[in-house]
Amino acid sequence: MVKTALQLEGVHKNYGKVHALRGINLQVRQGEIFGFLGPNGAGKTTTIRCMLDLIRPNQGSIRVLGIDPQTSPQAVKSQVGYLPGDLALEGDFTPREFFKYIRRLRKNLRPWEDLLQLAERLDLDVEKKIQTLSQGNKQKVGLVQAFISRVPVLMLDEPTLGLDPLMKQEVLNIILEESEQGATVFFSSHILSEVQKIADRVGIIRKGRLVEIAQTDDLINRALTRASVQFKAPIGQSAFTGLHHVKVLRINDDQRAYTLEIRGEMDEFIKKLAEFPVREISIHRPSLEEVFLNYYQDDGGEV
Amino acid sequence: MFAILKRRLFKNWLMILGWGLGLGVLAYYLFDIYDTFFERDVNLQQIFSAFPEEILAFFGAEGVDLFSPGGFLHLEFFSYLPIVLGIMVITSAASLITKSEEDGSLEIILAQPVSRSGLFWARTFALILSVGLVLVITWGGAALGLEMHDFDITQGQLIKPFVSLFSVLMFFLCLALLLSMVMPSSGSASLTAGFLLVASYFISSLANIDENLQGVDRFSPLKYYQGGEAVAGYNAQNLLLLFGLAALFLLLAWFFFITRDMRFGGSGGLRLVFRRKEE
Repeated sequence: MVKTALQLEGVHKNYGKVHALRGINLQVRQGEIFGFLGPNGAGKTTTIRCMLDLIRPNQGSIRVLGIDPQTSPQAVKSQVGYLPGDLALEGDFTPREFFKYIRRLRKNLRPWEDLLQLAERLDLDVEKKIQTLSQGNKQKVGLVQAFISRVPVLMLDEPTLGLDPLMKQEVLNIILEESEQGATVFFSSHILSEVQKIADRVGIIRKGRLVEIAQTDDLINRALTRASVQFKAPIGQSAFTGLHHVKVLRINDDQRAYTLEIRGEMDEFIKKLAEFPVREISIHRPSLEEVFLNYYQDDGGEV
Repeated sequence: MFAILKRRLFKNWLMILGWGLGLGVLAYYLFDIYDTFFERDVNLQQIFSAFPEEILAFFGAEGVDLFSPGGFLHLEFFSYLPIVLGIMVITSAASLITKSEEDGSLEIILAQPVSRSGLFWARTFALILSVGLVLVITWGGAALGLEMHDFDITQGQLIKPFVSLFSVLMFFLCLALLLSMVMPSSGSASLTAGFLLVASYFISSLANIDENLQGVDRFSPLKYYQGGEAVAGYNAQNLLLLFGLAALFLLLAWFFFITRDMRFGGSGGLRLVFRRKEE
């Protein structure tokens, strides 16, 4: 039986009159990589902070590995490696000193050599003062810090923020490796291609509400697919009427070239096409980015 | 929590040495000055009697026997130390926790298996220890001066004004820390506590010559500060009052810190603490 690593039930969080979270219900299974998507201000960071008892929900319950963060915050935090989204570090440390400091606050530590190896893998100079490092290098310090202990849960808020493409890929590889070793990874991002690459499941948050939770592939499959079909002979527009999941977007004057939008399964559409002489067909699968944008465009793009 | 305490002490080492050595050297030279002071006793008495009593009160000299060792120490040193060190203590206390909340660096520390109480007490003890060390170094300078000069007090008596000073500094340290927990920012807490310190100094100084201020003076923390006069003996009630209030403020500050949300980007403060129930 698959165990639950993170569980949120009816979590509300208000900042005065601002409703940051409006009844979040979410379960993340142990060992999975869960991508938490949403634009800035949607409630991603607030959700993570509630799970770590940095802020407290006004309503609802949270369990991290079955532990309530409000009653046992230290027990939760000892099980979690965390990278804050708004990362700020004390600048008078060097990364090496900072890692040593954090190690003194934690247990179940990874070997020091592993940590240095990780820093090297991220091309991080551990001897320079943090205040002299670029934003990207500070992010690397934050990342290595999240891996100081061997923990069953990683919460990474925008882990690739400020990194160059090569480093982004390296960070994704590291996350995948952690997952392969059994860690549950909960990470937020608004860079959808990254989420698509590594997340088993995706949650989309909008205005403090979870509007979708699904397997990443399912979400993409369920979304609209665009098809451009070139027929050998003209066919009438009525050919596609009666197909509930197909919408004609554009027809050329000669009625040979069609652009269509298909929602969900393609089976019905393909069978219909088989009735006509097709010269060429191209199918455009949407990226997660397009799926994501769909959720926001439904409301006039307002988030 | 030892790691946090050690880290804060390490961060404060410049402050400890800078203030401690500076004031220690000054304290040492006080005893040199005292000889000259005494030699010109008669002339100075005439000069002081020519000053308006408001001026003398302002410099803490009103009602003090300036030519006694305790009076001299008070006028030349302990009368203004609560202001000088008070500003340093208030600034440090108001930013002790909230400053790192405001700049965001506390988030990564509190995300470690560190309790809020542990962090609060470790940082607070580190600051109290730092203030204590500043006073110890300063006292060291004074003790050396006393040893080298002919001055009519013992080393044991010399410690007493420092204890009195420590009590008033603890009062303002804990007040500033409490204010930083309930006010919107570390800056506003620092400003408020600083204003109270300066107001208290004026009120307690001028209350000696203005009867109208005596009612208000009862609420002025510096009324309960003995300074140099403590060489003649402690006023235990005053000490207990200042240390007691400091302890109360400290407990309240701790309570607010462990029960409120962490602030991000300067949010929170008074509004958040008292509006939690409405939300």
